[in-house]
Amino acid sequence: MFGYVRPYKSEMLVREFEQYKAVYCELCRVLGREYGLLARLSLSYDLTFYALLSLCVDGAALSQHQGRCVVNPLKKCTFIRSEGEDYRRAAGFSLLLMRQKLLDDRADEGFWKRLGCRIALGLTGRKARKAAGQYPELAALAEAFTRGQAQAEAEGQGPDGCAEPTAVLLREAFAGLSGCDGGQRTALGEFGYFLGRWVYLMDAADDLEEDLRRGRFNPLAAKLGLESGRALTEADRDRAAAYCNEALNANVARMILPVNLLELGPFGPIVENVVKKGLPEVQREILFLRVHEKRRGARKL
Amino acid sequence: MSDPYKVLGVSPSATDEEIKEAYRNLAKKYHPDQYADSPLKDLADEKMKEINEAYDAINDQRRGRGPQGGYGSPGGWNGYASGQNRSGFGDVRNLIMTGRIADAEQILNGVPPERRNAEWYFLKGSVLYRRGWLEEAKDHFSRACQMDPGNGEYSAALNQAMNQRSGVYGGYNPNASAMGGCNACDMCSSLMCADCCCECMGGDLIPCC
Repeated sequence: MFGYVRPYKSEMLVREFEQYKAVYCELCRVLGREYGLLARLSLSYDLTFYALLSLCVDGAALSQHQGRCVVNPLKKCTFIRSEGEDYRRAAGFSLLLMRQKLLDDRADEGFWKRLGCRIALGLTGRKARKAAGQYPELAALAEAFTRGQAQAEAEGQGPDGCAEPTAVLLREAFAGLSGCDGGQRTALGEFGYFLGRWVYLMDAADDLEEDLRRGRFNPLAAKLGLESGRALTEADRDRAAAYCNEALNANVARMILPVNLLELGPFGPIVENVVKKGLPEVQREILFLRVHEKRRGARKL
Repeated sequence: MSDPYKVLGVSPSATDEEIKEAYRNLAKKYHPDQYADSPLKDLADEKMKEINEAYDAINDQRRGRGPQGGYGSPGGWNGYASGQNRSGFGDVRNLIMTGRIADAEQILNGVPPERRNAEWYFLKGSVLYRRGWLEEAKDHFSRACQMDPGNGEYSAALNQAMNQRSGVYGGYNPNASAMGGCNACDMCSSLMCADCCCECMGGDLIPCC
């Protein structure tokens, strides 16, 4: 996925930030241990959030450990370990989603990138089969996601249709976290659905300009009446930002409702921070401060 | 029932005011109005019932009578108010009300384009909204309002969708100022300004400067 689902640090307690970091570090450690060095590259904020949510609803026994960063041995780290499946499942899901991304890129990127994708796919093949064997339901979800995405784009569907595969992916993945509690399952699924829509729309909004330049499909282009090949004016950009922001807000409004109903336990404040502060901050940074565009521009110079 | 103080998230030594405030905050969070069109309605109702009972129990313990004020039955837009208008799609409204969204959509999709009136667009929008297809839902609500501008039911649905998009219910609102209305710096500079103005006219607001 894309790294948009993250907390807003300025609004966190120091303790909460340290907990979040400890979950991140533990996920990185488990990824390396279970699936090897290359899989560790798939570490992301999104999957950290998935692991965190899993810790919230699963109720497995947790313990805190001190150690050294697995990538940089000079750095000291705290790890929050779990007795349950939480991290292993998140790590497996992370690897399976990375594979799907590589398969997708292998189909439509340039020669060197395609070559890179092939090599990475070859090197992670055995580990990915291991993950798929452990979590067949997640493997099936990841495959259905890629298939659905390709189909929706081939049919040229609108923003809702194109966001559906991501929404369903997260709905099923989140709903699968709860044990047998029906109410929590519905709430988690609903949360995942709108978070998935949000992630897809955020990514589409972030890529809009580049997609237009390179003539790639983007459902927001048709919605906003923008043609590929033509440079965007400042007015077009503002219009696109305002529209995307509204569409994203609508999804945040709908995901706050199930989040309020979830029983989240000790990490609840972090989850609430992500939904109520983190996502809006990402909208602000990407749509209005245009941080990515500036980075891309700097690279070109 | 579990400990009513725990349900409201207050300590047993909390004052009546604190309890009232905790109850109000929770009631706002779980208020059924917000969940009217959501599969989470049952869960929210359950939570609401739980905090109502807890609040009643505490009040009974403390005073021997029930809560005053509180939150009554949901008002506002709960959609599909029966008898409000002569509906040509009564069966579809019933299906939506009972949560049979797929069936409702199937019937709506079977309506030939020339028979698709404002109500059709409104109901199709409601179905899309329930499914989470928020962009198309909004477009359908707008179309319904264009075709029948005077209808309160349609404009309430569109208003709700537009409010959610504005960022007041979550998300980012680019028009809201980050600092709020007035902070300590604003107050100091305003006072300094006022002092300068007074001094111009020969008076003095802050004698020391």
